[in-house]
Amino acid sequence: MNLLRAIAIAIGAFIAAPMFIVIPMSLSDSPSFAFPPTGYWLGYYRAYFSNELWTTPTINSAIIATATMFVTMALVVPASFALVRFRFPGRGMVNFLLMMPLMVPHIVLALGYYAVFSPVGLTNNHIGVIIAHTCVSVPVAFLIVSATLKGFDRNLERAAMSSGAGPLRTFFHVTLPVLRPGFLVAALFAFIHSFDETVIAIFIAGRDASTLPRKMYESVRLEADPVLAVVSTLLFTLVLIGTAIAAATRKRPVHAT
Amino acid sequence: MSATSATPAGASGGRKASRPWRSRGNISAWTLSAPAVLFIAVLFVYPLLDVVVISFTDPTLSLVNYREFFSSPLYSRVLGNTFWFAFMVTVICLLLGYPMAYVVVRYGGTLGFALLLVVAMSFWTSFLVRTYSWLVILGSKGPVTKLLDWVGFDPVPQILFNSFATTLGMVHILIPYMIMSIYAAMQKIDPNHLRAAASLGATPFQGFRTVFFPLSLPGVVNGCTLVFIICLGFYVTPVLLGGPRDQMIAGLIGEQIEELLEWGFASAMAVVLLATTMALLAIYNRLVGLDKLWG
Repeated sequence: MNLLRAIAIAIGAFIAAPMFIVIPMSLSDSPSFAFPPTGYWLGYYRAYFSNELWTTPTINSAIIATATMFVTMALVVPASFALVRFRFPGRGMVNFLLMMPLMVPHIVLALGYYAVFSPVGLTNNHIGVIIAHTCVSVPVAFLIVSATLKGFDRNLERAAMSSGAGPLRTFFHVTLPVLRPGFLVAALFAFIHSFDETVIAIFIAGRDASTLPRKMYESVRLEADPVLAVVSTLLFTLVLIGTAIAAATRKRPVHAT
Repeated sequence: MSATSATPAGASGGRKASRPWRSRGNISAWTLSAPAVLFIAVLFVYPLLDVVVISFTDPTLSLVNYREFFSSPLYSRVLGNTFWFAFMVTVICLLLGYPMAYVVVRYGGTLGFALLLVVAMSFWTSFLVRTYSWLVILGSKGPVTKLLDWVGFDPVPQILFNSFATTLGMVHILIPYMIMSIYAAMQKIDPNHLRAAASLGATPFQGFRTVFFPLSLPGVVNGCTLVFIICLGFYVTPVLLGGPRDQMIAGLIGEQIEELLEWGFASAMAVVLLATTMALLAIYNRLVGLDKLWG
């Protein structure tokens, strides 16, 4: 079945190759999207780090994603405890409500937020973007936190309680440390979800709260700015580092045939 | 459309006997979920409802926006385009994704691991970055144009800003979802089933066709649903890689917001998109169960 292997490798190359193209592009000295580059220099890296039109959206994205992460976790963790540990009237409704943002196309949401936020001054504003991003991050974090909670052995809590620990002490000394890795993953997902979100940001972030994806979108659409290749390379490098860490820490999957 | 009922947690047992405990549990559960519920209800559901209301009331209380949308050949074409495009992207993702997932699961080893890493890498890379890559690859100064020029095309055909470029870009962006869904289903298949089929005299192909393939179908359904639904409402990539003639419904909605044209009409289109998406998810929920889609 070598043919099948070759097909899979070809498809793998189709997936991988376009992403790697951004690296030589970022080092190109051409002012347009020419590939292969005619010459190499680091000038566009300097341009990225020294141009406020690029650094401000980057900082905005970091602020918005961090705030989104904290608000999302503050909402999701208690709600997940309720949904995983209790069976209560309205439970199905709550579950559906928390998952709903994952089912709605972002362009529809962008329209809704634009209509509701602009009269109250929440467009062109960090808070507005944080609110919208929190809504779309809730289901993602909820999936991970509730999966973590379902895997938690409640006997650990019972043991702590029977040894005399109160509910708060049990939570902070037993429950939380065991669940922390899952919570961190959920928080990371919420952060990335906000950092990558483009469509809602395009329509409601405006100039003042413009995020990095919004700036990237504009620069593709309006000016074909070569700094875009630098930003793409930096983002892709973060993914490469993340993938390398994940690959190194996780055991290789073994498939016996 | 309830995505729940799957795991009755915590408090089960005798209803009457544990009543005091249960009502206290209810209050705790409601209190714990109240912040999230209020946040989503006010800051997510309300804007959506507003879109629905605007679609029926702007400019006047009527169905005029929907009538305009469904009666104009231009908009029917956009709607048709959107479905056709989502269908094509789904089919191509399936045709490419299935063999890839198959090789990862059945052959494993270094190749399988490397392929999985590539898929994960693609999944985590912002789709804006990947869209930009395609602008470079297919652009007028890109490698494909140069190759076509070298081969002898004169004039070199335009390969960017058309439905071909959009389809290619969308397949590239969405194929990780397809592969991961199919991979998840294939991984659950017990290899002993195939050994059993072989020992009963099935050829490898018969084994695949009658045993492996049917068992991998839940992953196929899952992946197709995800890709199709994401594709229906996708905004950025079609706008950047497509031409004006192959516009999709999301692009049309975006255009209306940007140019501050008819709010009611934009909302009606958004409601059509929303209703279509919800209907597909409802069907999926009926057949498979919504909780499995993102699991």
